[in-house]
Amino acid sequence: MKLIINSFVACMAFVVFLSAVSVYAQSSIMTDSHIAKIKTNCTLALGIVGRIHVNDAPQFINSNQTYYSIGDKLMAHLNSRLTLNKYDASKLVKTASDYNVALSKFRSVYKTYEETMSELVRTDCLRAPVTFYDKVATAREQRVKVHDAVVRLHQLLKQYRVDVKTFKAEKLGDSNG
Amino acid sequence: MDNINESHDSALVKAPWYRHRLLVLVVGSITIALTLVSIALALYASGGTAQLDISRPGYKSVQDKVEPTSFESFSPTGEVDEGVIDEFLDLYDKQTKRVNSTDAFSESALADNALGIDAP
Repeated sequence: MKLIINSFVACMAFVVFLSAVSVYAQSSIMTDSHIAKIKTNCTLALGIVGRIHVNDAPQFINSNQTYYSIGDKLMAHLNSRLTLNKYDASKLVKTASDYNVALSKFRSVYKTYEETMSELVRTDCLRAPVTFYDKVATAREQRVKVHDAVVRLHQLLKQYRVDVKTFKAEKLGDSNG
Repeated sequence: MDNINESHDSALVKAPWYRHRLLVLVVGSITIALTLVSIALALYASGGTAQLDISRPGYKSVQDKVEPTSFESFSPTGEVDEGVIDEFLDLYDKQTKRVNSTDAFSESALADNALGIDAP
């Protein structure tokens, strides 16, 4: 009997939970006026999204090339030169390694973002305004991740410079910084 | 020996695919070509090459915005002294200046109000 009562209480709690989720979902449904506004500004929005998508490509290509070259032709070469001269460059190697991880992350998040943007520019916002709106929100979230990856790369670029200066001061006796 | 060869040839000629060997050749070639093209396209899309390909349709207008690859490298060999480190830092500052802007890919570009799709 106790088991039946417990099961009944659990079922009731589950039903209440589902109702709460349903109410929350209802509250996030878009209004008719909002959908109408998306349809009205559909061409304009698609034009802006298209321009952003196209302009992101050279921005990514140039940044990616420069970030890669900094890691491959500057950081790696200095680390190699210091190691060949029997200096302890472990801190610089660690920062360079973190930098390479951050660069891979930048590439992967940009790839995801670019694929979403490609889908977005092909979405018919007149026929599917809600889908279009949701995809814009997804693209925006992914763009934030790309931006965060850029910020992380810049932090590591600064960190590597600080590490080089610290190395110079500690190992080569420079006190000017 | 000749008899064995003759019976082998005759069995070959009787095989159903042998009578349609030209068709088998054409279909086989097309199948292999399609398979290789599919693999190449899958690698193109999954490996991130597509994102670096500015020759795709729609990107003609921004092709001139891609900077030519020119990057001054630091020598990985040689002695290390203060002058060498200063030389490295000069080179490092010069190259990092090219990517100094952290405004890249800012969220505001895709804001609802920027696209005119915000709630009224």
